[in-house]
Amino acid sequence: MPISEIAGCIGCKTCVQTCPTDVIQFDYDQQKAYIAYPEDCQICHLCRLYCPVDAITITPEKSIPVVVAWR
Amino acid sequence: MSDAKTISRRTFLGIAGSAIGATAIAGNMPPMPPMDQPPTRNQPNIDADSFKEETLETDVLVIGSGIAGLFAAVKAHDAGAKVLMVSKGRLGSSGLTPFGKGIFSYDKDNAKMTPDEYLAKIADSAIGTNNPVFTRQLLDHSADRVAELREWGFFDSALCFESFSKPMRERDIPIMERIMMTHLHKEQDRVVGASGFSLDHNTIFNFSAKTVILCTGSGGFKASGFPLCDLTHDGTIMAYNIGAKVTGKEWNDGHPASAKNSGSCYDNWHGQIEERPSTTSEQVNHHLGVDMNYAAYVNGGPVSMGPASQSEEKTTDVPAGPYVPEAFRQAGPPPQPERPSGLLAIFSKDKPQGPPGMGSESVGGSTAGMAIHKSEGLVPVDETGLSSIPGLWASGDALGSYMSGGIYTQIGSSMAGSAIQGALAGEAAAKASQSVTSISIPAEKIAQTKAEILAPLKRETGYSPAWATQVLQSVMIPNFVLYIKKERMLQAALAYIEELKEHHGPMLMASDRHHLRLAHETMNMTITAEMKLKASMMRTESRCSHYRLDYPEIDNENWQAWINIYKDEKGEMQLEKQHFNQWPKFA
Repeated sequence: MPISEIAGCIGCKTCVQTCPTDVIQFDYDQQKAYIAYPEDCQICHLCRLYCPVDAITITPEKSIPVVVAWR
Repeated sequence: MSDAKTISRRTFLGIAGSAIGATAIAGNMPPMPPMDQPPTRNQPNIDADSFKEETLETDVLVIGSGIAGLFAAVKAHDAGAKVLMVSKGRLGSSGLTPFGKGIFSYDKDNAKMTPDEYLAKIADSAIGTNNPVFTRQLLDHSADRVAELREWGFFDSALCFESFSKPMRERDIPIMERIMMTHLHKEQDRVVGASGFSLDHNTIFNFSAKTVILCTGSGGFKASGFPLCDLTHDGTIMAYNIGAKVTGKEWNDGHPASAKNSGSCYDNWHGQIEERPSTTSEQVNHHLGVDMNYAAYVNGGPVSMGPASQSEEKTTDVPAGPYVPEAFRQAGPPPQPERPSGLLAIFSKDKPQGPPGMGSESVGGSTAGMAIHKSEGLVPVDETGLSSIPGLWASGDALGSYMSGGIYTQIGSSMAGSAIQGALAGEAAAKASQSVTSISIPAEKIAQTKAEILAPLKRETGYSPAWATQVLQSVMIPNFVLYIKKERMLQAALAYIEELKEHHGPMLMASDRHHLRLAHETMNMTITAEMKLKASMMRTESRCSHYRLDYPEIDNENWQAWINIYKDEKGEMQLEKQHFNQWPKFA
């Protein structure tokens, strides 16, 4: 998985705003961020770096096939 | 907001149907990618008919919130204009800006090269493809922009949200974030505003503006391994759609990724994202990238990362590939700046942690769809980045300024160039706004825009943007299409892309605002792909990062020219030559 877990979210929405590819959404009932579209995660770690409570776990594998110029 | 949190039956089926889903179901239940879901009718979880419209007015509308947008907004404000910034992302964390760790600063008093020496060397590396007016701006303005950034705290943190917020807050410049812009409006031959939709609620925003500055960056094909997946040439395509001329589509940024975890930007960059930015000084290079693709094309993998001269060294049995000017051929590794950083630091050798692929296998295509920084985008008609449409400016990677030409020459120049061009465009747009008295977007145009924005939500049958993107990637990313080019293959790829654009594009579906964004981004990528293929076919020579296997030589007789692309009155894509050193006229 790319972004794989948000644990200990304080509901500040910073990661939702920070994610360049709109992967993270906000659950207004739970007042917590959640991973909505992991297939669009570009694994840049901006969300993790901006998270004030270090709640985000990211792994280096894409969740969808990667098309490359050669292999 | 409740629409986003319920997991649809369709998504549930997707999850339950796979092993990954089975493990995810116990945790946070991330949905499967749309292409893994069983085909169903589109059942949007938001109501397309509930979208409200809001209209806002400003003098200068800045679209984009990277470093070009920051300077455009600040300088337009300081020149007396009412400014509004709108962004698909967030100030300082959208586009390539958060990842540009090197910024060029020319210190006139302690320069290693005189301005004339520097300009001559850039022109030599760029084989004439650079526009010296914009190259010169690097020398004239970089130190001033860097000084401002230093004052705002840019060099004190790896993350630039705080330092970018400081001058915006001090000036009370409003910022509207998470809005995907889709349309520019033109009335009586000048730009009058723009429209887009919110990613957070069902609202369409219409911006009535005296002038517009596109700071929307460049784009790619959402390839993996480079932090470019939010950039889909949105500004360029919006401008193209109202008749602006665009350029630079035949050039290629050739960044590869590590073969291992090739989809991870962070791992590819070895955590460089967490470093604080620093300045760079004069160091003119000839960074190809396409040479690696050539080596892989001729010999097959594995290919290891390295600068042009290194790959030549390692693959001596490879016939002559992309041309490197004599002054930039070296027996050993090229000299490195004191502290290599920035996007192209991954070409450097001496970083303690090592760039991706160094010593291990690389794969290509991580920046597929992106040209060289500053070489693609709107055609400027003057040195401030005014486009061929009156009232419309572009700056940074959205402007085809040819600051470096069709090759990346100076590490750190991309960040500096965006800051410089943003500032110049901001001042010019503010001044131009003063003479504009009244502007308005006609009601019928607003209604038509709304219908076009929401169309993918209203389709019950059709194609998913993720699938269309996957098809586009499969056609455009392999090294024998855009990196090692030949007529027959470009024609074949074009047949696919035209099919996608004409048949599938009008049938793209969206079930929510995220997928609505993807649908519009997919169309922008498809039009970009068409431009890239057509420009690549037209340029019957090889130069800088454009390499034709069937025309491997430089053709100075016919190709001392850039290629401009525009939409004619019938809506057809047209291409024309513009001679180096000539400025085009208004459209």
